[in-house]
Amino acid sequence: MEMKKIQYIYTILFGVAVVLFFGLAYPHHLHYQEQFQLFLFDSNYVWDVVKQPGGIADLLGRFCTQFFLFAWVGAFIIALLLSAIQLLTARLVNGGWFFVLSFVPSFLLWFFLLDENALLGGVWAVLLTLLAVWLFVKLPKGWLSYSVMVVVIPILYWMVGPAWTGTHYHRYPTVVPTLLYAAWLLALVLPLLANVFKKWNSAHQPSAIICHLATIVVLVVMGTLIWKNSNFKAEKVMQYDFMACHQQWNRIIETINTEKPNNQIGVTVQNLALAMHGQLTAQLFEYHQNGIHGLLPDVQTDATTPLPTAEAFYQLGMVSVAQRTVFEAQEAIMDFQKSGRCYKRLAQTNLILGSYEVARKYLMALQKTLFYRDWANETLPLLGDEEAIAKHPEYGRLRRSAYKNNFFFSDHVTPEMLEDLYFSYTDNYLALEYLKAYCMLTGDRDRYNNLLRRTSVKQ
Amino acid sequence: MIMKKSIYFYIILAVAVLLLASCASHPDVPSSAKEAKSLPAIYPDYCNVTIPCNIAPLNFMLPAGEYEACVARFTTPDGKQQTYGNGVKVQIPEEEWHEMLQASKGKSLKVEVWGQKNGEWLSFNAFDILVAEEPIDEYLSYRLIEPSYVAWTYMEIAQRHLTTFEETQIFNNEITMNDKEKGQCINCHSYQNYKTDNMLFHVRLSNSGTVIVNDGKVSRVNLKRDYTISGGVYPAWHPTEKLVAFSTNLTRQAFHTLNPNKIEVYDLASDMILYDVKTDSVSIVSNDSTLLEVYPTWSPDGKYLYYCKSVPLPEEMKDKDIRTTYPKIQYNLYRRSFDVATHNFGDEELVYDAASSDKSVTLPRISPDGRYLLFALGQYGCFHSRHHDADIVCIPMEQYTGTPLTAETASFVDMRLVNSDGYSDSYPSWSSNGHWIMVASRRGDGNYSRVYFAYFKNGKVGKAFLLPQEDPEHNTFLLKSYNRPEFMVEPVKISVEEFSQVFDK
Repeated sequence: MEMKKIQYIYTILFGVAVVLFFGLAYPHHLHYQEQFQLFLFDSNYVWDVVKQPGGIADLLGRFCTQFFLFAWVGAFIIALLLSAIQLLTARLVNGGWFFVLSFVPSFLLWFFLLDENALLGGVWAVLLTLLAVWLFVKLPKGWLSYSVMVVVIPILYWMVGPAWTGTHYHRYPTVVPTLLYAAWLLALVLPLLANVFKKWNSAHQPSAIICHLATIVVLVVMGTLIWKNSNFKAEKVMQYDFMACHQQWNRIIETINTEKPNNQIGVTVQNLALAMHGQLTAQLFEYHQNGIHGLLPDVQTDATTPLPTAEAFYQLGMVSVAQRTVFEAQEAIMDFQKSGRCYKRLAQTNLILGSYEVARKYLMALQKTLFYRDWANETLPLLGDEEAIAKHPEYGRLRRSAYKNNFFFSDHVTPEMLEDLYFSYTDNYLALEYLKAYCMLTGDRDRYNNLLRRTSVKQ
Repeated sequence: MIMKKSIYFYIILAVAVLLLASCASHPDVPSSAKEAKSLPAIYPDYCNVTIPCNIAPLNFMLPAGEYEACVARFTTPDGKQQTYGNGVKVQIPEEEWHEMLQASKGKSLKVEVWGQKNGEWLSFNAFDILVAEEPIDEYLSYRLIEPSYVAWTYMEIAQRHLTTFEETQIFNNEITMNDKEKGQCINCHSYQNYKTDNMLFHVRLSNSGTVIVNDGKVSRVNLKRDYTISGGVYPAWHPTEKLVAFSTNLTRQAFHTLNPNKIEVYDLASDMILYDVKTDSVSIVSNDSTLLEVYPTWSPDGKYLYYCKSVPLPEEMKDKDIRTTYPKIQYNLYRRSFDVATHNFGDEELVYDAASSDKSVTLPRISPDGRYLLFALGQYGCFHSRHHDADIVCIPMEQYTGTPLTAETASFVDMRLVNSDGYSDSYPSWSSNGHWIMVASRRGDGNYSRVYFAYFKNGKVGKAFLLPQEDPEHNTFLLKSYNRPEFMVEPVKISVEEFSQVFDK
């Protein structure tokens, strides 16, 4: 077979590996990425992004990230981008020994994307830069190519931003995305080196077998490095968060029965799923526990850990507490982005609490998204429709379960808060489960016995 | 050749379309329409409002889900007419709008509105927009912030040119958020006498302090002293001297499970200080450890300092947690005379006794001519921007003769056209000519503060109207509150970059 075709097969194999990795081994990292941004089909939003240096790369990254809601689609997009970068690099280095090295920038970018806070805009920046270089190379040399360069450089600056200073390539503004920069640099240096060693490279063309072996070595070595450096522990935590977010209670039970979680988010989600099945107190000590911190952890000031806790608050009927927790989590997103997941929940909590105009604001924003639009359209007619809300399986239940008495809350849930919740609506079995579990985890026998007495009197 | 010609044709066509798109739409008035016999439900509600002669275009719209199109015809007193309408929105070019305002100064613009609903045109009752001869201050500044609980993210202090739609940043926390380990909260922008060469704002957390502009020179100072409970918080520039009165506060927040006020902001302690900008010295004005002093404001002549002070709690509540006593914490309005030469304060005078009618007074502001007093009044506490029952109250100062005014003894200016029903109306202020009242109100949705203006003349108040925006839907989609709106007669001339330099020192 012709060498060029074989090279395409390597590119396809690389792409398939990327798809399989993100689709099978790392899907929840993609869900995590998606939930910390909100791509709006809105001219103001687009302008706010593109007016910054690097804005086009950032916008393209954000646009693609919205598809990460569906992990396989996200995996396919990443594979396309990384394969395109490899192909362009291969084109620019013009084969030979350098073909083998053309995979390295893409591998470095894959490495970069192992970090759940690495943003896809960085990958787009590398791709756009390579496209510009390729365009320049393709143009006939002379005044035309230099004129194009004069025009393209400022446009490229606008599209991908200043290469070495804080553009939006990582969620944490203070983090220097070294791997991204290394990939970027290498993608540009390799063609230069290939040009310098052009004569040598064409004089010392490797044999087909050597070329295959070298490519396979690079693929295997870098693939192993990727695998070894993948954070599967974080992936597991993200999986629990994802399952809680999508209320996959059966799947959570199946997962915890396969491998008992021993991290805070996993334990919080495990306990919520058990409670949703009415099994929390019965099976509490069959699983790892972390005291009351695994039941309803104190609200922390970060974007990640409060969300599963907020799900528990929400399901319990502590709607105002859930609202505050979700709001704070969204405010803690480091790069000032908003979250589709948070907007949706804020719309729901405001709807349940009767703040219809506030809910409308969130819903109208979600109407400008690709994947939350339908849900927003379905929810908007509920605003103000008391009868429909009362009949709604989720909102009706949560409205009935919600607090009837006003009091102050802060970052810490107390047993009194659960007592008030349960005794103001004794059909709220979830609150009872949590209250009993609270007593069991704190060893508060008096409160537990008192609770049993009060519930038996009620019955 | 034919191909080339068609390309030219399409280019010309595209340019023509672009040019047409950039022009205002002047649609025809519907040839026939059914009478609706009501005022149009336009947003914002600009029906029969009195506006300044230099305000930006009052763009408005009919509800998008209900109507397919809207046409509005404006008629100036000289009989000239112009129509506007693009979809359900009415957006008027600035130049044409200001021409109409000039032609209508001291008189009124007649507005007729037609709305297309289910293919049928409806004609609404015409309304007037009265154009006052008195202009509004050209600039307004505010902090744009999510109405948050504890955590916060990007925030900015912005300034808006009120004659146009131009909004620029005075400062934002992005630079400090990105460059420093911890982010910063920025707040409490304040100006001396509506001018910006002497102004300030605070930054909290990392590199915290008060950014002070003194005759155009920027510096960062720390107002916390060993003998104060905090750095300066709520500021008030003396109208003529380089002095700033501040409250010092130990502020906390708690969150309601059910109360629509959602968040309770309260002070564990608060005092008042006077900061001398020239000497960087801080002196205590008032520090009663059992009571809470807050929200200083100067009389326009600088001879009095007004402020709010809590009344003692009933004996049985004194040792209880403030989170249980908060509905009983109420503030009255006091003042003390001030000697500019010696910087000495006179004795405390009770000006308005709100607690006697089970109310709490906050955020006092005296009109530039010294004749009227504005404040926000609610049931309890000091943070009325979170209190649904809070309303703006206006009292003629001539009524105060040394005897404390009360709800029974004072006669109030009728503010029904300014206040909303069931939503927080707070943070009142006066324009520099005293003819425009500005308030921050959550009346739109109960959660997001917006800026409203109302005309004021000889103790009479016009209907409040929303700060106009280029896109009338702007306020619907904006998930930020307008916090602490302040009038200015000139823009802040110092750039964001220049302000940020004081954090590098």
